[in-house]
Amino acid sequence: MLKSTTPTMVEAGTKTKKKHRTFSLNAKDKYYALLFLGPSLLILSVFVFYPMLRTLYISMFLTNTLGKTTVFNGLGNYTDLLGSPEYIASLGSTLVYVFAVTILTVGIGLLLANLASKRLPGIGVFRTLYSVTMGVSVSVAAIFWLFIFNPSTGFFALLSNMVGLPVINWLTDPTMAMWAVIITTVWMNLGFTFLILLGAISSVPTTLYEAASIEGASERRQFFKITVPMISPTLFFVSTITLIEGFKSFGLIDLITKGGPTNSTNMLVYRIYKDAFYSGNYAQASSEAIILTVIIAFFTFLQFKFLEKRVNY
Amino acid sequence: MSKRLKNSLISLALIISAVFVGIFTTNNPVRSSSSSDRTQIVFWHELGGASEDALEEVVNGFNKSQSKYEVVPKYQGSYDEAIQKILQTHGTSTSPAVFQAFDIATAQMIHSKYTTPVQNFIDKDPDFDIEKIAPAARSFYSNGGKQQAMPFNTSQPVLYYNASLLKKYNITPPPVSPTYSDITRVAKQLYERSGHKTKGMTIQIYGWLLEQATTNAGTALANNNNGHTGIPTSVDMNNPSTVKFLEWIHENIKSGDFINYGSGASAGANQTAGFLAGKVGIFIQSSASIGELTANNKDKLGITYFPHPDGQKANGVSIGGAALWISNDKPKAVQQGAYEFAKYALSPAVQAQWQKSTGYLALNKDSQKEKILKDLYAKNPEAKVPGQQLADAKPNYVNSGILLEGMQVTRQLEEVAMEESYNGGDIHKALKKATKNVNQNIKTSNRANGYK
Repeated sequence: MLKSTTPTMVEAGTKTKKKHRTFSLNAKDKYYALLFLGPSLLILSVFVFYPMLRTLYISMFLTNTLGKTTVFNGLGNYTDLLGSPEYIASLGSTLVYVFAVTILTVGIGLLLANLASKRLPGIGVFRTLYSVTMGVSVSVAAIFWLFIFNPSTGFFALLSNMVGLPVINWLTDPTMAMWAVIITTVWMNLGFTFLILLGAISSVPTTLYEAASIEGASERRQFFKITVPMISPTLFFVSTITLIEGFKSFGLIDLITKGGPTNSTNMLVYRIYKDAFYSGNYAQASSEAIILTVIIAFFTFLQFKFLEKRVNY
Repeated sequence: MSKRLKNSLISLALIISAVFVGIFTTNNPVRSSSSSDRTQIVFWHELGGASEDALEEVVNGFNKSQSKYEVVPKYQGSYDEAIQKILQTHGTSTSPAVFQAFDIATAQMIHSKYTTPVQNFIDKDPDFDIEKIAPAARSFYSNGGKQQAMPFNTSQPVLYYNASLLKKYNITPPPVSPTYSDITRVAKQLYERSGHKTKGMTIQIYGWLLEQATTNAGTALANNNNGHTGIPTSVDMNNPSTVKFLEWIHENIKSGDFINYGSGASAGANQTAGFLAGKVGIFIQSSASIGELTANNKDKLGITYFPHPDGQKANGVSIGGAALWISNDKPKAVQQGAYEFAKYALSPAVQAQWQKSTGYLALNKDSQKEKILKDLYAKNPEAKVPGQQLADAKPNYVNSGILLEGMQVTRQLEEVAMEESYNGGDIHKALKKATKNVNQNIKTSNRANGYK
């Protein structure tokens, strides 16, 4: 997707400046480049590059009670972390969470978008309903779901009491707490995913479906053979965004489980926050941040490498 | 330079400066709001809800009581996060003059050397009698023979039981200072006689309770006398006292009278709800919960001291809560004002009102003579028990808190050990694992801080 856009941009650039055969810049160009890139470079270096390098620096030291770097520890923080069963467990739960959230969000979003793309009377109501979570803030969503999960007065508890099933302790049982967070995140993500996918499905030319209908293809076949391939760039985009956002998930976890019970939802980003701002262990938190960066970069690379090839325009 | 370029340059410069003005301008309400010539004392605290209202009353009372200082209270979020804010802002204009720091941050605060010990002010103050303050609370926040901070909102863990249910099933209530087997007896009887409708007891998976059980059995978790005679270099969780506590819980889990509400904030809320609904008869919680447990309770509430192992005397539990610390990065006049505020907050009438509105214990011995508390005890006689437990405790190194940095992490590891043992795991194995992890953490922390 990106590869195809870059050459055209370069072409457009050379067309406007026909004088320059090669891509070298003269003094005036350099001046302009600096003028236009300067502000963003300045802001990025203050708020992105410097913190990044500083994090890398801190991660190779030990920090004392006051949060100052004291003893050089080389890669010691990293080896300690990767050798700690708690951190590995945290990593595992993050992967479970991220993949469950991505698969469920994209799957359910696709299903809903496909349903809502049908031209039926009153479909606008459903389109609004399905995308309404876009307008809900994280804190409101968390409180809303906390009410639903409450073991004595919550909706789920009332439901299971009615049917005569045992009440699930959504937020105190380690396995269920993970599901509680996954359900809430998927619900939160669904609005955005739905809207993007609905837009993509609507832009698929109707002639393709007409032709397929004439050939006698079933609706299901049309969905998998026409809709999915045609919207695959959007699916790719949505899954990348959801995956990365999943790794960065913080607000809902803080408001719903605070990483508990017994660290079952203490995922990477939340762990960084807790180690730094609860325990004051900035060195360890910095190492965790670097590891997280590497993990996200790796998955983004994988997605571009493998998923992009299957993207059908 | 062309005109267009010049224009674009100027507008760019304007945009950049606007952005930076937006980013770096911090409004400092402390300075701008100083309409009077009173000295401003910025006070950081971490109390929310009803306790915050009560605290504001204390602050307003102080501001009205004199005309020299004006205390400005500022809420800072949770206890844990506030510690980091305090440490990271020290020496800047935003740092507080006086702040509230919770019990387990005491070692961190002392070692930071960012505070002026209140002892320095007390020594120069002929009006203030520190002997009036509860000794167990004082010793918790003192080090090297000096009062480091002024104990403020102070609670104790106590055991609550449903007195109405015990009466209904004709069960003899536990004594004021019960042993483990006293509680087991009541829990079993309640479970059996209610036809398994009411669970006997619960103990939340909460590191604080494990520490208190160990303390009450007379054992120090950390070496160097719990850190009171030197920086701790190791802990031993797998000691007879902690083992006895977990074995006691195991015994009750096995006989079916124990219900596990898990760990975390929602577990605390659920166990309180369960207790109020009569689903569980006994639980252990902070004395600060008394208000909540009497206001919303259709049943009669019973309270005892924290239980202790059989065949030995209770050592007394340590306090929980927070203290007032005075920053040393402010001018002398401001520090003096901070001390005056702390002193006012500890005066008999203020402490009596404080206990009534928050459930935290009145620390001044003279508060007991105040009408507010006498009325409170006349209405709820059981409200006396936590204060008695506090008064009974003879301070020693074991029950004066654990002066260990990284208590936050230690507590998390303790909770993992509790959870493993509650779920049927081997007690020694769980405690050994916790010990190993805590010691690893202590080793790194001591190395980082340059402690030998």
